[in-house]
Amino acid sequence: MIEVENLTRRFGPHVAVDDLSFRLEAGEVVGFLGPNGAGKSTTMRMLAGFLPATRGRITIGGFDVLRQSLEVRRRIGYLPENVPLYAEHRVEEMLRFQARLHRIPRGERTARIGRALERVGLTDRRRSLVGSLSRGLRQRAGLAVSLLPEPDVLILDEPTSGLDPIQRIEVRKLVLDLASEHTVLLSSHILAEVEAICPRVLIIDRGRCLADGSREELVEELGGGGALVRVEAAVLDAAEAARLLSSLPGVETVEVGERVGIHTEFRVRGEGDLREDVGALAMAKQWALRELSWERPSLERLFASLVLGEASATSVPRTVAPTAAPEPTSPISTGLELSVSGGAPTSAPSAAPMLNPFERRPDASSSAGGAATDGAPSAGSRAERPPGGPTLNPFERPRTQSDAPASDDGTDDRTGDRADEEKGA
Amino acid sequence: MIGASWTILRRELAGLFLQPLAWALLLLAGLLQGLMFSSFYLPGRGGDVHAAGLELFGGTQLFWVLAIVLTPLVTMRMISEEAKSGVLEFLLTSPVPEAAVVIGKLGAATIFMALLWASGFLPLVVAALGGVSPDWPHLFVAYLGMVLVSALFCAIGLASSALFSTPVLAAFVAFLGNFALMVSGIVTLQLADAVPEDVVPRAWIEWVVDKFDVVARFQVSFVAGVLDSAHVVFFLAWTAAFAFLAVGLLESRRWR
Repeated sequence: MIEVENLTRRFGPHVAVDDLSFRLEAGEVVGFLGPNGAGKSTTMRMLAGFLPATRGRITIGGFDVLRQSLEVRRRIGYLPENVPLYAEHRVEEMLRFQARLHRIPRGERTARIGRALERVGLTDRRRSLVGSLSRGLRQRAGLAVSLLPEPDVLILDEPTSGLDPIQRIEVRKLVLDLASEHTVLLSSHILAEVEAICPRVLIIDRGRCLADGSREELVEELGGGGALVRVEAAVLDAAEAARLLSSLPGVETVEVGERVGIHTEFRVRGEGDLREDVGALAMAKQWALRELSWERPSLERLFASLVLGEASATSVPRTVAPTAAPEPTSPISTGLELSVSGGAPTSAPSAAPMLNPFERRPDASSSAGGAATDGAPSAGSRAERPPGGPTLNPFERPRTQSDAPASDDGTDDRTGDRADEEKGA
Repeated sequence: MIGASWTILRRELAGLFLQPLAWALLLLAGLLQGLMFSSFYLPGRGGDVHAAGLELFGGTQLFWVLAIVLTPLVTMRMISEEAKSGVLEFLLTSPVPEAAVVIGKLGAATIFMALLWASGFLPLVVAALGGVSPDWPHLFVAYLGMVLVSALFCAIGLASSALFSTPVLAAFVAFLGNFALMVSGIVTLQLADAVPEDVVPRAWIEWVVDKFDVVARFQVSFVAGVLDSAHVVFFLAWTAAFAFLAVGLLESRRWR
């Protein structure tokens, strides 16, 4: 239904969309994800024929967007981000105007306007002035306007922004309902929403396509080692427990988290749901379990890792390997933690990766770096030292961390300087 | 194309009348026309209703002043404000050619101006009810000329509105454009007096000036009560030229 080939759009020297290609089959519902300024709206504007592309080709339903613009415009419903409607008109008048623009026969107009209003739940506001509607109602009015001609393709730019949670659920239902008859491309930066609505996701950043596929596919291919099982248990020796956990079948990595009181946190990554195996192990070893939970790999995690770790993730979509090299430019480099656990024999804080809120592939870096420093037993597994006493003090953590690589050259001041330099670089 | 233009025209006209500016302009024009008629034109002409009526319909410079000032006020928002609010994005992604958008808007602005000039008929209707009837066909021809001149100025205003994103700037530039077009004929002829006959023959200059001198065209035909197709075509052609320019500028907005 939609075919985009090598789409590029420049605004002066700024490249908003960079060689983007994708296809949408009829009846597909695709979520368009990306951080602000990634080029989502620009792409959608080009799809709708409002902006011409600098290079590349777009065809919708077999018609070229630029050359057969009117044919395309008859087949699409486009809802721009800021929901442009004539503020001085009533909702109903706006819909009637749209009906005339799309040459809906006079006899059908009233019925179809009524249906569109009903679909978005605005029937009781049909006589309200568009300008007096609240943000969410306006959004729904805009949705009604773009739905009215029953287009083959719906291009919705952030259709749920400004809606309250209940309206959001309604819009979600509406889009799912539309999916049976229309091809829908919708953009959003709310990941949970895209996850709920769209079977297929396109992630773009800086105008490039980072990933394209179904949610499950993406998570599997790019998520870097499947699901995560969080275990909190009282164990005598955390390192020993971690070793045992990593010996379980299907386990790829084990991270030892913070120790709170007598309980230690482990993060076990591996194939599928490992809860039962971990539970059985805990029972066998008589660990007192406090938590055993499974975190499904979410789109949010994937999104963060893709967008933030773009330097390490490759620019070619679909080929982001879980063993990608750690980002060298990151101020909190994962390499640092490794030399901590490997090089410094003193109380090394194993909780260092916790500082990184996105946990970008700590497993991959651990396997690479760990093997180099202390010859870790198996690649992919990570046996950490037990956390020392002072690590409970959160203020101590950054210092010990930056301490380790600079342990050769002495004083704290100089190590501090060096850490700064590294950050600057 | 025609259907789409008509749809846009209706929308624009409704939009105009949903704004207070339109009503204010109509009120002002009505008041001014009536006041000028009863206080100046009628006494000045010694009570000749027809002659005074003709002064209402383009016989004086007041018409030109009003035309170049009011048309930009009507057209200034038509494209620039829509571009700002984003409605233009909606309009240009609906199955309507750009030309239809411009034609619809031009039609709406011209119809509004026609309504505004029609206020000149009010004092004359009163006079006619009082028993003194002016020469209606002559006045209607003059009125048609006013509408044609307004359409030309509206087209200039639309082009300006398509070019700028601020209504006020669009109005100002349109005003300058209208003013330039209005005085260009007179100014060129004045300057031509300084040119010796053997360098550029006077007749050549007059031939060129004749192609863009809207004031002279209006005075010799419509005000004189002559409905000459050549003059009608002259105004329509210039209007079409500026409307075409407006379409081009509207399309070029996408590239900016």
